[in-house]
Amino acid sequence: MSFELPQEVEETRKRARDFALREFTKDLIDRYDETEEYPNEIRKKVFDSGFITIENPWNMLVAMEEFCRVDPGIGLSTLASVFGSEILLLYGTDEQKEKYLYPTLKGEKISAVAVTEPGAGSDVAGISSRLEKTDKGWILNGHKMFITNGTVADHYYLLARSAPPPSKEKRHHGLTLAIVERRWKGVNPVKLKGKLGMRATDTAEITFENVEVPNENIVGEEGKGFYIIMTFFNISRVYVAAQSVGTAQGILDLLLEYLSSKPSSFREMEYVQFALAEMSALIEAARNITYKAATKVFSFNPDPALTSMAKYYAAEIANQVANVAFKIVGMEASGTKLEKLYRDAKITEIWEGTSEIEKLVISRMILKRIQEAK
Amino acid sequence: MSSEEQKLLVSMIEQFAKTELENAAQKIEKEGISTDLRKRLAELGLLAATIPQSEGGSGIDRKSFSLILMTLAKYSASAAYFTYLQNTLVNELLFKSQNKKEEIAKIASGEATATLVHDLNLNFQHEIFVKGSDLYGSNNFVTLPDADIHLVLARSEGSSYLIHAKPASTGIRKPLGFRGLSFGNVNYKAEIGSDKIIFKDAENILQNHFFETGDQIAAIALGMSESAIEKAIEYSKERKAFESYLYEFQPISAALIDMKGRIEELKKALMLTESVQEKITLKLNSLETARLASRIALQIHGGYGYLEDLGVERYYRDSMHLTMLASNYVKEMKALSKDVIAPDAFKI
Repeated sequence: MSFELPQEVEETRKRARDFALREFTKDLIDRYDETEEYPNEIRKKVFDSGFITIENPWNMLVAMEEFCRVDPGIGLSTLASVFGSEILLLYGTDEQKEKYLYPTLKGEKISAVAVTEPGAGSDVAGISSRLEKTDKGWILNGHKMFITNGTVADHYYLLARSAPPPSKEKRHHGLTLAIVERRWKGVNPVKLKGKLGMRATDTAEITFENVEVPNENIVGEEGKGFYIIMTFFNISRVYVAAQSVGTAQGILDLLLEYLSSKPSSFREMEYVQFALAEMSALIEAARNITYKAATKVFSFNPDPALTSMAKYYAAEIANQVANVAFKIVGMEASGTKLEKLYRDAKITEIWEGTSEIEKLVISRMILKRIQEAK
Repeated sequence: MSSEEQKLLVSMIEQFAKTELENAAQKIEKEGISTDLRKRLAELGLLAATIPQSEGGSGIDRKSFSLILMTLAKYSASAAYFTYLQNTLVNELLFKSQNKKEEIAKIASGEATATLVHDLNLNFQHEIFVKGSDLYGSNNFVTLPDADIHLVLARSEGSSYLIHAKPASTGIRKPLGFRGLSFGNVNYKAEIGSDKIIFKDAENILQNHFFETGDQIAAIALGMSESAIEKAIEYSKERKAFESYLYEFQPISAALIDMKGRIEELKKALMLTESVQEKITLKLNSLETARLASRIALQIHGGYGYLEDLGVERYYRDSMHLTMLASNYVKEMKALSKDVIAPDAFKI
């Protein structure tokens, strides 16, 4: 058993680290945090430098970690410009791939996943957007919320109800996934401003009024959208875990930088040393569980419980580490990158499945295994 | 003050906060404490609340003042901290000097704002010095750097002073929390007369003052905690997931009940603390509670909590900012362990 990543991936990690340190300058980080603009210029550089590739997903994973280590807002915004591409890769038709996936992977288009609604976040099966069949195709009406890339994406992978659920227990049936273009008539994205952190990410509320969706834009089998989205979450949650690991590592970096700039007597205090040891151990554990979950996902043998463990645990650690670092640095953290990472870290416990949802997935899978073993 | 008088006073402040702070809280965060609000706090006698009436204050006892701060913090943490800063960190220190009636009156009436520039919450000393009659240096972490009156902790060889000074320049930046109050840096370069020295041995006096008024910081933290958890409870009764209200889910109910219980216990302790040790411990526990309560409240609100519109993410920022403003873990642990364990405890 080896815990080493292949040399190619380690080289990508080093390149990603160098790129982020060079390109994510303090001025840019502050500007995007202040203005809440989408960092499109850096996104283009990220593409040109070859960090966005799904040929070897490990490269994207370590890039996510290293980018978020320097700045989670810019890091995630740029890499998530191909958000949802795995959906088409796994379930898309050749025509869909030609029209939407390949231009996205070339950096010519931006994609987004539109699942969450004002009344349904964690409860994916509870969504109420509707796809209704017509002679020509489908008509979409609905309302989506907190959609990452919502106002900058060219197209969304959108989940809507196309048939009533057969029973209360089978609410996840009758959901269909469709590709919807942002510029189509009836699509109205509105940027949500004033987030606590991750302010370089574009977040939107989107309404869909009588939007015509052609048949060829339905992804996978009609009524099976829930399963497609859950498969996708198994992939995307590993990247969020990497985001958390990177954020936590970035916080530790900043703490070490602070300590090295101060008289040695401060870092020689054992309460500081114990905290450093604990933070380092927790981050390493979060990294290892993330890589283990990624190994399963990237070898087409996903373990949803393990993925949820990685996402939940890494998010918990990112926030815990942020709190401990603040306790040590105190008021001198004010106005620094540490303060920003503290704000950025909180989202990891919320998006792409809250920590509560991850815990439910873990426990249900574990209990199911016990039942199956009997 | 009798318990009946105390109840009446708190009820009056609650009424004021509900009518004048609750709906304005977000506006205060964006635009700052307005002159009108400052005047209202002055009219209520809060800006010199614990100063004796004979000296131009309201003569409110410290326990009652803690309750007032807790009540204000439930509606606007910025307004509560502003009140604490004017009354406790400035006017009480001016009052100690016995000859600053004029300044106390200006602050008490809301005519002038004041700040205390110190470094006792920092890991390392700031660089403000007195040499001969010159005051010079800077501090980068000042609440209300644009205040009219500055009380400045400055050091010289072997001593420290609290000095009434005017800054040479100030800079404002957006703080993590308490955004209703300006925050930034100050620079001093001035010649000062002896009449500007409020007292000597200021470092010890200020440190003791911080420890002795730790219960007031605890009160602000508890008001914030209570408000955050009440918002979360309210939301859990409105929001459904999986066709059930959030409060019906065991982990959510348990977290809310646990926090509510913890806050109530600390509120009782607030009324009972007497010794400095108890006040420091209460402050540390209350600040930790505020951080935890804000994290739980934000988590329960999900994505909506992450947006400033609902006013929930504010608790998350404010609770950490208050910790930074009013606490230094090493100094507090040293003070506590010195008395509880041994003089040289918490050393290595």
